[in-house]
Amino acid sequence: MNYDCIIIGGGIAGLTCGIKCLKEGLSCAVISSGMSALHFSSGSIDVFGYDEQSRPVDNPFNYIEKFTALHGHHPYAKCGPDNIKEALFFFKDALAEEGLELHHNSNENHFIISTLGILKPSFFSQRSVYNEEIGGVFGKKSKIAFLNFDGYRDFYPDITIANLKKNALFKDTDFISGNILFPDYGSIKKNPFEFRSVDIARIFDTSRYLEDIAKQIKNKAAHADIVCFPAFIGISNFKKHHEALQELTGKLIYEIPALPPSLPGMRIDNALKSRFASLGGVFIAGDRVISGVIKNGMLENVRTANNMNEVLKSHCYVLASGSFFSGGMTSDSASIREPVFNLRVEYSPNRGDWASDKLFDKNSHKFIEYGVETNDSMNPFGADGSSISNMFCAGAILPHYNPVKDACGSGVAISTGYCAAKNIVNRIKGSKDRK
Amino acid sequence: MINIDNISFDHCIKCTVCTVYCPVARATHFFPGPKQSGPDAERLRIKNPELVDKSLSYCSNCKRCEIACPSNVRIADIIQSSKWKYFKKRFRVRDYFLARTDLLGSLATRLSFLVNLFTGFFPIKFLLEKFLKIPSKRIFPKYENGTFHGWYKKQKKHQENFKNKVIYFHGCYVDYNHHELGRDLIKVLNAMNIGVLLTTEKCCGVPLIANGYVENARKNALFNISSLGRSVRESGLRIVTTSSSCNLALKHEYPNLLELDNSAIVNHLDFITRFLCMEFDKGNLPAMKPMRIKAAYHSPCHLERMGLVMNTIDVLKKIPGLDLHILHSECCGMAGTYGFKSEFYNVSQKIGKELFDIINKASPDIVITDCESCKWQIEMNTPYKVMHPVSLLAMAIA
Repeated sequence: MNYDCIIIGGGIAGLTCGIKCLKEGLSCAVISSGMSALHFSSGSIDVFGYDEQSRPVDNPFNYIEKFTALHGHHPYAKCGPDNIKEALFFFKDALAEEGLELHHNSNENHFIISTLGILKPSFFSQRSVYNEEIGGVFGKKSKIAFLNFDGYRDFYPDITIANLKKNALFKDTDFISGNILFPDYGSIKKNPFEFRSVDIARIFDTSRYLEDIAKQIKNKAAHADIVCFPAFIGISNFKKHHEALQELTGKLIYEIPALPPSLPGMRIDNALKSRFASLGGVFIAGDRVISGVIKNGMLENVRTANNMNEVLKSHCYVLASGSFFSGGMTSDSASIREPVFNLRVEYSPNRGDWASDKLFDKNSHKFIEYGVETNDSMNPFGADGSSISNMFCAGAILPHYNPVKDACGSGVAISTGYCAAKNIVNRIKGSKDRK
Repeated sequence: MINIDNISFDHCIKCTVCTVYCPVARATHFFPGPKQSGPDAERLRIKNPELVDKSLSYCSNCKRCEIACPSNVRIADIIQSSKWKYFKKRFRVRDYFLARTDLLGSLATRLSFLVNLFTGFFPIKFLLEKFLKIPSKRIFPKYENGTFHGWYKKQKKHQENFKNKVIYFHGCYVDYNHHELGRDLIKVLNAMNIGVLLTTEKCCGVPLIANGYVENARKNALFNISSLGRSVRESGLRIVTTSSSCNLALKHEYPNLLELDNSAIVNHLDFITRFLCMEFDKGNLPAMKPMRIKAAYHSPCHLERMGLVMNTIDVLKKIPGLDLHILHSECCGMAGTYGFKSEFYNVSQKIGKELFDIINKASPDIVITDCESCKWQIEMNTPYKVMHPVSLLAMAIA
């Protein structure tokens, strides 16, 4: 099987890269081992959230220009400011083509509310998390209701409210908390083990109980301007149900990204995969690349766990296999490795530097900034120290950035995935021109 | 003592993604989902086997949880082996026969006319439901008169004369229910100048595994490994299969579930569409006439698990003129013998509903799939004829 491009990793970086490659007319396969980190994400896209003093950033693009001038190793510096913006709006358009709209506050960040009632800066959000109307309600004298579904154990409205009250932005806000009862709860209750956002989303997707739920919302949150509950207004019919609920209640309906599996993240995952497939991409799920042959500074082929006696070949390869969580990197007590190709990894040899003593350290942990070292074209270096010219790295496997501290994870994934695709297109078209 | 062969449950980080993608958990709240039934409960069962939960039996072993798992946990394997290890053994006539597709097949093919008449006759089906708990609404696959093996005897000489040959593991379905697929395979490969040889084989063991007859499954597996292994050793030929579930058994279930060494065959084994892809890549593409039909392709769960769907799609794309629609990947709910049990019939139908709706919406001329049990389920629940990709190729070659 031969492709123009094989992408290792089916997360946000790999799929963005794949969609861009396909749009440029290349043939492309993604090899993905298990579902991606989108299932554990907020479903909002962070570009740059906090500055070096941990203060929220207003305009992430202006900040990135200043920041990358001082930090040339940061993946954003390798992309360049124009590519970052181009990549993010390319991503937005790709999702829009699948019916998933992303909203943003022109060039500024907006805040999203976490399950614990903390405000987090982000750039793109789904319509139930940020839009102009929602932006108008927060920070004014308003009434906000936090409701939960009876029996759902991953959300506690009173905790959310208690934390929000500490925030100056909400000093003039009245809060209501309460529970609503799911009309079909009887049949779910038979199973005491699983009552998660996805169970509720599936019931929403049947469209059967919208009117009943709307009535309960109106009762419990009579004078509220905006009603918030955990994100579970459906997976496939999310847009339709969000509109219907707003219409039936006459209130703004806000979704709080809940504990994993994350519905907003799954919506993005579905849309990306669907876009990738409809452009003719081949998505190989549940398989792992276990080895590859590197010769003369080029990756020649790869082998996967499922098909040991056949090699997969392509002109270019993208390594978007994620960080430690996804198995893109592994560690033992003394070293950190990239396990498939044994690429050069940037990390401190001093074990004590890897992590802070405090779990929730404001400066996060150093190990999050470790990853596969690349040159400015994002080519990694092999075990012999020479760069691999037809291989490109994207997403969380890259070093020198801290998605936890800076709130820039998905922005880096999208930008580097997009830039990897552009580099591949240039390389393949260049070699055709020479011929 | 803890068996440390499969401690992959320890890699579970409780992310619950498997449960999100479990077709059974989606259809019924009586199944707590793969995370709970697999890695979570395994810890308890190791400590105290009494803690085994009956809800385990809802698992249909489609393996979609393993495809979804980001931590490489063999969830379905944990659930399957727990069913054998911890459930009390209980003899059930129905399960005994459902598990033995080869015994049932060799009897039924002798009296196929009567068997087909009876299994389509409502009063008989009513009694089967009443006494054996086989759902009367289920349509049974028809039996052929005689076996594929028997038919092949006359072909053997001709097939041996080809310079290039493969060994064909046809499985029970081709042998007893659907000779046509075996004949189509021979036609397609012969058109590519490849002869088809058979060897002695027993049921791959999938239905035995599903119904808890582990020792019998092991016996069949050992027989197949030694018989196919011997043929491979003597001839150096490759083995091909046309059933995705047989292929999964030979490749995955033998080492992972039955704990047998299949190294004698595993590197010589190809699912047919992968074999065809490799031949096509070498330039061995048979002449085909344009097929001006709209085909909807449904990918079986077990083929997905083996990462072979791309091969089937590649093969189908080689058929000139074919209007190919790839359906969104959904489980059909049949899961082999699962859909033949009254207690799971409604779950099985509810799982399949999404797929049936997608197929109806696509409104194709035919549906294509690689798995016989998906075929039964789709033919029973939609108005469309279901074909194997090899049969479609054979049509294009004629």
